[in-house]
Amino acid sequence: MRRIALLMTTLLFALGLAGQGMAASGYAKQKVVYHVNYDNPKKQAGALRNIQNHINAVGAENLDLKVVLHGNGLAMLLNPDSLPNLPKFKHANADEQMAAKIDGLKMQGVRFQVCANTIKGREVNLENDLYDVEQGDIVPSGVAELAKLQGEGYTYIKP
Amino acid sequence: MRKNDELEINAYVDGELSDEDRIEMLAAMRANPELAREACELTNLKSQLQLAYANPPGIDKCSVSQRRSPWTAIAASLVMLSAGLTGGWMMGNSPATAERFVMLDAGGRGQAPATAESPETRIVFHLTTPDQTEAGELLADVEQMLQAYERDGRPLRVEIVSHGEGLDLLRTRLSQHQEKIHRLSSVFENLTFVACKNTIERVEISEGIEINILPDAEIIDSGVNHVVKRQKEGWAYIRV
Repeated sequence: MRRIALLMTTLLFALGLAGQGMAASGYAKQKVVYHVNYDNPKKQAGALRNIQNHINAVGAENLDLKVVLHGNGLAMLLNPDSLPNLPKFKHANADEQMAAKIDGLKMQGVRFQVCANTIKGREVNLENDLYDVEQGDIVPSGVAELAKLQGEGYTYIKP
Repeated sequence: MRKNDELEINAYVDGELSDEDRIEMLAAMRANPELAREACELTNLKSQLQLAYANPPGIDKCSVSQRRSPWTAIAASLVMLSAGLTGGWMMGNSPATAERFVMLDAGGRGQAPATAESPETRIVFHLTTPDQTEAGELLADVEQMLQAYERDGRPLRVEIVSHGEGLDLLRTRLSQHQEKIHRLSSVFENLTFVACKNTIERVEISEGIEINILPDAEIIDSGVNHVVKRQKEGWAYIRV
């Protein structure tokens, strides 16, 4: 049900933006990867704001945008209730506000990729601790993914 | 003279005192002429030793620059000579940094050549934070990655460029990961630690001491230039 709702919203969003088209933004298609490996909640919210501004400037239809999270960066997607079970993290920032921002960006096609090394190394429970992360969102190594994406022509940004 | 004083005065002459300790030592020398004379004699001795051993044996970190053409080598030695002269003239101490200054060639440090089936991954990490906990996490990540690539037979080259406040990781006196850095660079030929000469010189002037860089690290002219160059050469860039 949730998936369908997400799909509908994405479609509506895409339709809405399609009217403005590429000419409006003046940007060609961009491939960008954002790197987050810090856990400061303000810095993380700032990074999400940067991404929203990026989308606003270029247009969601002109962007292939990924966020790679590893190390402390995983805090962005950690449920605050799980923090007591996660001794290797100092912050769990996926409160309602952060979750809303993440939802909004996902609806515009942003993909959040999570490092498997961190999940394993810091004993994170995929089902209970992470906000809206599925198997397909997990990459073997955050660092290797950043290198791979740059090799595929993605521009690297660390906000 | 007490043993402690002697240690302290040696540390002062070697530029290894912290700012507060140095100020305290200067005050002590003003109050005690004998102490001042001792420091002066030690400084003289030190510079005489440096003159006699302008090229201390055992530091051979120029292996990466072997493939330079003779003209590049001549140009580089001229640059090094003038850097050494200017540095020596400006700071009045040994141009240790200039002596170790290298130019890293496009490929980075030794690694098996890439093949069509397994293209080489090249990553330059740009370290600018003084936080050595973060630097430690970086080292752990990098070690994991080097091991995984080696296990799978995939070619990989990694450079860690420490620049600005990130230089602390490679400073002999401040590094908290000296042993790990030594172990990693001995085990993995495809890993290079790089220190920025601009930063070293800037810190030497502002702190008024000579900066010593771990023997496992290479020294290059500009960290910023280097990471830009690497990206142009197709290396992946990751800011720590």
